[in-house]
Amino acid sequence: MADHPPADGWIGASLLRKEDARHLLGHGMFVADIRMPGLQDIAFVRSQMAHANVRQIVKPPEAAASVFTLADLGPIAILEAGPELAAHRHSPYPPLADGRVRYAGQTIAACMAPTRAEAEDLADRVTAELEELPAVVDCVAAMLPDSPRLFEHWPDNAFITGNVTEGDPPALQAAPVRLRRKFRMNRQATVSLECRGVLAYWDHRNDELTVHLSTQGGHVMRIAIAQSLGLPEHKVRVIAPDVGGGFGGKNRIMPEDIAVCAIAMKVGHPVRWIEDRREHLIASVHARDHTYDLTISADRDGTLLGVEGDVYIDAGAYSLWPTGSFMEASMASRNLTGPYRIRHLKLNTFTVATNKAPMGPYRGVARPGACFAIERLVDEVARELGREPFDLRRQNIVTAAELPYRTAAGMRLDTGDYVQALDTARDMIDLPAIRKRQEVGESDGRAIGVGFAFYTEQSGHGTVEWVKRKSRVVPGYESANARMLPDGSVIIHVGVQNHGQGHETTLSQIAAHELSIDPSRIAIKYGDTATAPFGFGTFASRSIVFSGGAVARASRMLIDKLKRIGAHLMQTDPANVRIEGGEVHGPSGSVGFAEIAYAANVRQEHLPAGMDPLLDVTATYEPTETGGVFAYGTHAAVVAVDPDTGTLEILDYVVTEDCGTMINPLIVDGQVQGGIAQGIGTALYEEIPYDEIGQPLATTFGDYMVPCAPEIPTVRMAHIVTPAQATEYGVKGLGEGGAIAPPAVLANAVADAFRKIGASFNETPLTPRRVSEAVARARRARDDAA
Amino acid sequence: MTAITIDLNGVRIADDVEPRQSLADFLRERCGLTATHLGCEHGACGACTVVVDGKATRSCLSLAVMSDGRVVLTLEGLRNDQIMDILRRQFHECHALQCGFCTPGMLIMARDILQRHQSPDANTVRHELSGQICRCTGYANIVKAVVAAGKDLAAAQAHALAGALAEAEALIQAEVQARVDDQVRAQEDAPPKPGTE
Repeated sequence: MADHPPADGWIGASLLRKEDARHLLGHGMFVADIRMPGLQDIAFVRSQMAHANVRQIVKPPEAAASVFTLADLGPIAILEAGPELAAHRHSPYPPLADGRVRYAGQTIAACMAPTRAEAEDLADRVTAELEELPAVVDCVAAMLPDSPRLFEHWPDNAFITGNVTEGDPPALQAAPVRLRRKFRMNRQATVSLECRGVLAYWDHRNDELTVHLSTQGGHVMRIAIAQSLGLPEHKVRVIAPDVGGGFGGKNRIMPEDIAVCAIAMKVGHPVRWIEDRREHLIASVHARDHTYDLTISADRDGTLLGVEGDVYIDAGAYSLWPTGSFMEASMASRNLTGPYRIRHLKLNTFTVATNKAPMGPYRGVARPGACFAIERLVDEVARELGREPFDLRRQNIVTAAELPYRTAAGMRLDTGDYVQALDTARDMIDLPAIRKRQEVGESDGRAIGVGFAFYTEQSGHGTVEWVKRKSRVVPGYESANARMLPDGSVIIHVGVQNHGQGHETTLSQIAAHELSIDPSRIAIKYGDTATAPFGFGTFASRSIVFSGGAVARASRMLIDKLKRIGAHLMQTDPANVRIEGGEVHGPSGSVGFAEIAYAANVRQEHLPAGMDPLLDVTATYEPTETGGVFAYGTHAAVVAVDPDTGTLEILDYVVTEDCGTMINPLIVDGQVQGGIAQGIGTALYEEIPYDEIGQPLATTFGDYMVPCAPEIPTVRMAHIVTPAQATEYGVKGLGEGGAIAPPAVLANAVADAFRKIGASFNETPLTPRRVSEAVARARRARDDAA
Repeated sequence: MTAITIDLNGVRIADDVEPRQSLADFLRERCGLTATHLGCEHGACGACTVVVDGKATRSCLSLAVMSDGRVVLTLEGLRNDQIMDILRRQFHECHALQCGFCTPGMLIMARDILQRHQSPDANTVRHELSGQICRCTGYANIVKAVVAAGKDLAAAQAHALAGALAEAEALIQAEVQARVDDQVRAQEDAPPKPGTE
């Protein structure tokens, strides 16, 4: 954690969070905590097989009315998901199986009972007769001509293929240094500690379907629910209560959501489905699962020239609405040059359907894989040339004088000082001291390694970027509705969805800054489509940029009207007044917001002639540069590795990062530390392997390793603050950055520990088995050579 | 159905439960005590931790019938608990929660740690928290909060001890003084010894 100087206003103040009290008292309200008369539980019958035709579903006769198959749900529109590109193939994903199941865990039938236990009993009595089909489990083999197909009418198993060509790749053939390496970042789950959940019922008084949904964006989910069920949107209300983490995993409409809503339309009482952990691991959003086969070219002096090769994304069986997993491939390839002056790029990308759970977004989306690949390649080139990897990095990285810099793949890196971030991290980790320590060696036989990795985090990207991605939904703005109540207190409704980020605190700091009142006089509300203005939700490190900007604009609109009314009350011109301390000050006195707000709301006779009553404004906001602003940073770590067991201890972990202006440094530090913990999970622990018939092998926390307190070090942080030019206050998004670099930095550190024997560590997670086997392989190769 | 009686948060609860019902489901679904969260239902994440007969216990791995005749405390029942007060303040000040889902279980386990370890250091806290999953914070601030709470608790206990000692000393002194006074009074009240004049 970093030390922060005290701030002299609300921007930059480490205000303690408004969200804490309810959770500390056990009064949080998550979907599973909602109690309703007549509520019944749903349990799903799920496919036991990876790929099969559904021959027959036999319901127990005595409870047939409580078992729902697709035909029982009524007419359901299957939404096309993925980018709006003709080349992207449609993979219709019904809420319950339509005759074919394409991954183990896919929903086949829904069973309803007064309790979940009874619903599971009922599910056990439903027989699903499956006719097994050959499973597609390897995304590279899936593209071979003789591979079985998931969708018969597709010419191969690719959702989409693409290529990126920039510069003059053929010229790379003559480069003095050419290294080919393969990298794998394996499949994992997103693992919010609160699993998914949905509770739905028809609200007769309001004549609408009310859906309590653990989601990152209720408005966008409402679009999908309404379209799927054929309802007009004004008859669907989505309420996201407290949401226990999401990390991307709660930002797609899922089959269970639609099934539960459809059942609620059929029965006369509330129904809910609360996902259990096994369901989460086998059938929620899966992530990562990138395979890279890359060749990097460089000059003898270490100048990096270009990257060529193939990028495979194992996207699972279906595209999830709205966006599918297409962005994985485009973001991976567009981020593959990292922050380096690499001008030649030739990449073939394959987004492949396999008989696994569908892929969705997860903190960092694609960039952990891209960062892993390019940062490992930089280290490999350094080894080849006998250079210190840190120096090669520094030699090739874009300097502050070169910013803004357009990378070969078209990303516009905006502001910052990348070299300073590198140098600060080197000094914090004390690279010379580690090198000395390595010369001495460890008395316990472990090997010490130090690794560096640099990341950029595109954040706050708007219309231009999402249109470029052919996104079905273009989250190019956010909105805020600000109301000053008769007593001068303020309620601001926003379209983003707090699920741990602390928006109730940070957005109230922004409004407090603009309105010159205390944040305790400002309430931030969200999570109910009945009251929130339209917004896209919280994902892609966008909330502080977009929603912060919308809150600032709405607050300024309030200020404008407060000034006009205040001036009128003081019988002066609005040009003569200013705002301070919750009052409008004129040349000869002041009037408080409460007095003005009282007039505006309930005593209109005091308003200027012709002025509309109310202090109630709605603003939208998009940054001036909509390609995104780039937070960035350097991670550095020291590890100690047992060469025989492959066990790894992180001895030190430092970060220098720049997310522009910090609204609340306490929360920034929390996001960085939390992101790194998830990144360490990707790097060392978390994996959902599938066997050759497509069975998932990590289905509980007994075999899916989530790091706990002993595994996660307290990260030492330093902040560089380079305000963005395109956003309010100069903020940049920072929610994902922490999760991007850890796989790269830890793999580089382990490779550094075994650099003398040339062991390679190009697959995550770096489990003890993978590490010890890599060491053993390198030792054998060395011995064979000797 | 099996009849059980539980002392739950200081209230005697008698109910009939299915033998297979977990304590967590009983607390949440029958008693409406939703501070106890379910993060995995197989004993790995610790979100459902409650106190049974003074011990931190996974309520997802215990059956309600096993709690028959026992004393059960959930976070709702620890509103006026001295250690929990300190922990809540430190969790707030150290930013030891984000989404809040793991928080009740973390707090119960942290209280258990502080009951077993006098002012534990960070390594002890990390080790003792190894059965609790938090997906948001990366643990650093949770560890910091528990360590700080341990120090606060030790200080409060030392203060209370010092206060009690001072009180005891004052009592003893008063007692001594009273005896001295009694003796003086006895001497004053005593009739003059014959032959002293």
